Amino acid sequence: MAELLTAEGICSGYGQVQVLWGAGLRVAAGERVVLLGANGAGKTTLLKVLVGLMPAWEGSVRLDGADITGQRTDRRVRAGLAYMSELGVFPGLTIAENLRIGGQFVPRAALSRRIEELFDLFPDLAAKRRALAGSLSGGQRKMLGIAKALAARPRLLVMDEPSAGLSPLFVQQVIAVLGRFRAEGAGLAMLIAEQNVAFLDLAERVYTLEGGRVRFSGTVAELHADDALHRAYFGLA
Amino acid sequence: MLIGAVVAGVVFGLYFALVGLGLNLVFGVMRIVNLAHGDVLMLGGYAAWWLLSAFGLHPLVAAVLVLGVFIAVGYPLYYLVVPQLQRARDSEMLSLILFFGLSQMIEAVTTIAVGTTERSLPGRMLGIGPFILLGARLPKPWVFSGVVSAVAVAGVYLYLYRTRLGMLTRAVMVSRDEALATGIDVHRVSALAFGIALGLAGVAGVFAPFMLGSITPAMGPDINLTAFAVIVVGTLGNPLGTVAGGVIYGVALMLMQTYYSSWANLLPNLLLIAVLLVRPEGLFGRKTRRA
Repeated sequence: MAELLTAEGICSGYGQVQVLWGAGLRVAAGERVVLLGANGAGKTTLLKVLVGLMPAWEGSVRLDGADITGQRTDRRVRAGLAYMSELGVFPGLTIAENLRIGGQFVPRAALSRRIEELFDLFPDLAAKRRALAGSLSGGQRKMLGIAKALAARPRLLVMDEPSAGLSPLFVQQVIAVLGRFRAEGAGLAMLIAEQNVAFLDLAERVYTLEGGRVRFSGTVAELHADDALHRAYFGLA
Repeated sequence: MLIGAVVAGVVFGLYFALVGLGLNLVFGVMRIVNLAHGDVLMLGGYAAWWLLSAFGLHPLVAAVLVLGVFIAVGYPLYYLVVPQLQRARDSEMLSLILFFGLSQMIEAVTTIAVGTTERSLPGRMLGIGPFILLGARLPKPWVFSGVVSAVAVAGVYLYLYRTRLGMLTRAVMVSRDEALATGIDVHRVSALAFGIALGLAGVAGVFAPFMLGSITPAMGPDINLTAFAVIVVGTLGNPLGTVAGGVIYGVALMLMQTYYSSWANLLPNLLLIAVLLVRPEGLFGRKTRRA
């Protein structure tokens, strides 16, 4: 598969505090990759560097082989990258407005069609299209966040802890929705930063991040085969 | 007398909404308190006075010119000042200091340029005689200024709720971080909002001589206090709540001036304290579900 996103030797942090120490990863076109790590491992920081919300002190980020390390987020979004933060939505805007903002760079007519497609995929949202996103439950907000991120038909969906704040039932719903996009074979690549191993069901490859460094890179089966990592992420089971 | 005070209060309230609107727009989009807001308004007043004295231009024409010029100045001024402020560690405190300094500078330069003499514009330019509204007799310049204010407020509403850029502006108001994450060009949206805010303050300044009696280079801080009272009552960061804040302030002011005139100057302070104690999120603050 052709390389879509490549990050190498990323060092970054906040003020004087360095969080990432030479982290790197690759996502191929249409591939689903999970970035596993505990709280404070640097997952969010790495994703922010990838989407241009934080500068890389060292290292490079490439999209389709082109160096985008210093590029602004809006340019990366235009190039086919979508980022779903932990918040994921604009609570003070309506559901329809959230989707229109997600597809802000799509021509008007095409965006209207796309929004109707998304409402077909997420009927709960369609029924409340004029309601404020802030009035939705946590699970519904997550669904809206996914729909908003998909409004522009990105080639790569980067997600920061989609399970955050959700009960196990809603986590399964989110995984099922994301799995549906995989099943449809839409060519959508995903990079999901998580600490919840349930998301490995979606993954073709896994990276683990510890202390700002990538410790493991491989398939889910290889992760299970590594005793130390298996114990760290799956306990004794 | 009561109806007259209320009707005049509503007309004044529309004007006060215009006075506060720009301040609230800047706060809502940038989370910055523009302490030079009142001085920008004052500049708008002097621009109208100069355009009339030098070229005989009607205040309405002056308002259109001031709106365009102030937006054109505000847009690059944003890029010159605000991004650097937002990168600083304590950006809110720094913005207070910077805009306070800017306020002092504008006042000083204006004083050097035009002196400290109070200036006014002839009220007859906006109509002669009273205008009867719901039985109340109001000077025509008040009604004219109130109508222009209502048009300006409606324009801001149309911008925010009927245009793509306005929707992006509201998104930045809701969450700057999420706006950045979604790929919104936050600086472009903010720069435009900053320019519009300065333009609105300038237009309010054009009509200040008719509504407030006169203008002086030192009027900025008093205007700021009034604008603060209006936007705190109407909810900080919610530009359209400013309209309700303005009307409440205007009606309260007119009632005070009618029945307890010697206490009227205390009104902005009283309203600020009362709202902050009883309902700090503002009378029209909206709560969202958190789970």
